[in-house]
Amino acid sequence: MDSTNSLTYREMKKQLTIYLIAAVFTAVLSSCAKAPRYEALIVTGQSESHRVSSESVKQIIGETGLFRSEILFFGSDTREMADPVSEFSKYDLVILDYEGSELSESAGTALIEYVNNGGGLVLYNSKSDPGVVASDSVTVSERHDFEIRTNIADHPVTNGLPVRWLHAADVIIQGLEIAGEDVRVLAAAWSDTSFAGSGEREPVLVARELGKGRMFATMIGSPDGNENTALHCAGFIVTLQRGAEWAASGAVTQEVPFDFPTAAGPVLRPDFTEITYDEVFENLGNYDISKSTKYFTCLQSMVRKAAGDEEKLLKLEKDIVKVLENDEAEVESKKLLIRELSWMGSEYCLPSIEALSSVQELAVDVDFALARLR
Amino acid sequence: MAQKTTRRIFVRRSAAAAAGAFLIPNIIPASALGMDGKLPPGDRVVMGAIGTGSQGMSNMRDFLDLKKAVQFVAVCDVDSKHLAGAKQTVDAANKNNDCRTYGDFRDLLEKEKLDAVSIALPDHWHGIIYTEAINNKLNVYGEKPICRTINDGQTIVAAVKKNNIIWQTGSWQRSQPHFRRGAELVINGRIGKVKYIEVGLPDGGRGIGTPPVQEVPPELNWEMWLGPAPKVPYRGVSHWDWRWILDYSGGQLTDWAGHHIDIANWGAGLEYTGPAEISGTGVYPAEGLYNVPVEYDFLCKYANGIEMRVANASMLKHGMGTTWHGDLGWIHTDRGNVLTASDPKILDEVIGENEIHLYRSDNHWQNFVDSVRNGTPAIAPIEPAYRAISVGLLGEIAMTTGQTILWDPVTETITGNERATRLLSRPYRKPWTLPTV
Repeated sequence: MDSTNSLTYREMKKQLTIYLIAAVFTAVLSSCAKAPRYEALIVTGQSESHRVSSESVKQIIGETGLFRSEILFFGSDTREMADPVSEFSKYDLVILDYEGSELSESAGTALIEYVNNGGGLVLYNSKSDPGVVASDSVTVSERHDFEIRTNIADHPVTNGLPVRWLHAADVIIQGLEIAGEDVRVLAAAWSDTSFAGSGEREPVLVARELGKGRMFATMIGSPDGNENTALHCAGFIVTLQRGAEWAASGAVTQEVPFDFPTAAGPVLRPDFTEITYDEVFENLGNYDISKSTKYFTCLQSMVRKAAGDEEKLLKLEKDIVKVLENDEAEVESKKLLIRELSWMGSEYCLPSIEALSSVQELAVDVDFALARLR
Repeated sequence: MAQKTTRRIFVRRSAAAAAGAFLIPNIIPASALGMDGKLPPGDRVVMGAIGTGSQGMSNMRDFLDLKKAVQFVAVCDVDSKHLAGAKQTVDAANKNNDCRTYGDFRDLLEKEKLDAVSIALPDHWHGIIYTEAINNKLNVYGEKPICRTINDGQTIVAAVKKNNIIWQTGSWQRSQPHFRRGAELVINGRIGKVKYIEVGLPDGGRGIGTPPVQEVPPELNWEMWLGPAPKVPYRGVSHWDWRWILDYSGGQLTDWAGHHIDIANWGAGLEYTGPAEISGTGVYPAEGLYNVPVEYDFLCKYANGIEMRVANASMLKHGMGTTWHGDLGWIHTDRGNVLTASDPKILDEVIGENEIHLYRSDNHWQNFVDSVRNGTPAIAPIEPAYRAISVGLLGEIAMTTGQTILWDPVTETITGNERATRLLSRPYRKPWTLPTV
């Protein structure tokens, strides 16, 4: 690549990585109003790392039930698109999981045009490899856990999320320059100098509205060639899901999940999925406090969300009682469930709780609940 | 109000009066007598300490710094290492080896003849031990928040009123000039009519996962540490870090409510009332032993139209501290002598002779000692402390239930919500019960 191309590439980076990193707004809600599901194209590279990341992204956005996506491998042995703009315009969302030099100038220009015309673009994994620095001014920290803080809390992507949360085992892209006043840094991380950090706050989630379209960039979730822990961070997953929906539609309809990480610690989703109602009750009885409290905290979250809905609360209560009546369920689990019923239960749960008073290990918890419920 | 005297001081005074001795009025500070702040040893306020962990020892040192205004004679803790350290501190101050030690507060209350007791315990013990101490007619310096539940708080308030003792809450910000100045400017209308208040309290911190069950350290009486709280195995968390577990505390929210909500109420004239409607959300960790909300954000609406938002500092423009917004401007105050206003000229305002002058204290511990001697109320009496933590506890209930809570600040009951009403108290584990007043 000669210096002219290199410069062009850098400029494109500025547009794609940084601009785009910051892009993604606009309305054009007509298409989403008609179609509850969006078509997405994931553009990625040829490497093993890209295979992992693109398949992960496909699964992650698929989890929302909002997207149907396909993957386009972009590289020397794939086709150069004859007409990228018309190619992209078939999709509600393009996710760029790629930063190789094979990304042609025309494709980059096409993406910008696509967004200008109302497309949604997500930029991801654009500086994933700590060994490769595309710009003189951009560096990458060592891999470590770090805290991400919301900068703009009233943006659809960040609205309702914890304002401080810990992200696991990732690198921080440093020295990114934000282009333009309309670029919105939604969240940032302070890059600790003890991990080869810049000692500055670096943008992590960026949004920008461009023309009729929107761009959302996430600077986290970079594969490590091993466990890929950063991709399994619930914070990465959920912000990507929300950013994708916002880029495609201009709004976010997804609820904040109970397992979004907090300042208390990172949370991983080993298979990218959120715990379901059935899973909670399948696992509550096998509760092992030394391993995880997540099924119980998920239950508490479901109870809070059911507030005011007696039908839902009664269903939860009945399912909790089933665990109490299961002789094989763990005592530790029953203790927690009895405590939860102590405030949210109705007359329905009383007989089951009373029946447990003969279980010596539960006597204190039964007393506790009955004192409140009777 | 009749001058309140404790038994010991009263007996001493009576004896002096009977003997026709010249009696120095107790309201004259010792410093005014040219005694360099020192009183004859017999006039010291005789004190005990229950809870001698970090905050208990900090309070004890603040009392001992008062140039021998107090004499500690007994200490109590469920951790024998804490107890030994406390005795050492007291003995060094008294230059003897006489400080008596107790592992059970009931023994201390039964055996010791005290004027006052300094109490600094995990919140789940406050209801029982404060009430017992007050029922024993002891004057109390008690740490905030004064209760883990509204019901505990109501009992403690009733006990103080019935027994007519002197109570000082450890909300020492009241004894700092800039907090008082901010509150005084607000209550005298210098920002106009207060419409809206923001209270920023600390963000929650990092969790520790779920540590394994481990052997209780030999110095710790775990059963007594738990007391009325649910029986759980020891996982290495007791001192200090109890505040991250809901059985013992409500986290940063309830830990700090007694400071910045208290100051907010002081300036806005809400010290003796509470909100009518509370709603908001909390962020709870998905994993781990620490289960208090790490973020919280709730809004309290008062009958007089004032709204108060309480949130972790990262949510708020002014961050930590209290910000009163009136129709003419705002005033913000926080630790570190922070006192700012929408217009700096507000801060230069003079409070006229006929305006409201808030209670003045420049040393929180001295103020307690003076109050005990004089039988006059201290700067941080019980009901404002109860009203401050009530805001935090009602916020906690709103976040736990996910519902808007309707609270009657006069009858002190929740309206039309049985589930929320259950959360006004926490059942005690046998054999413990909340003492009757």
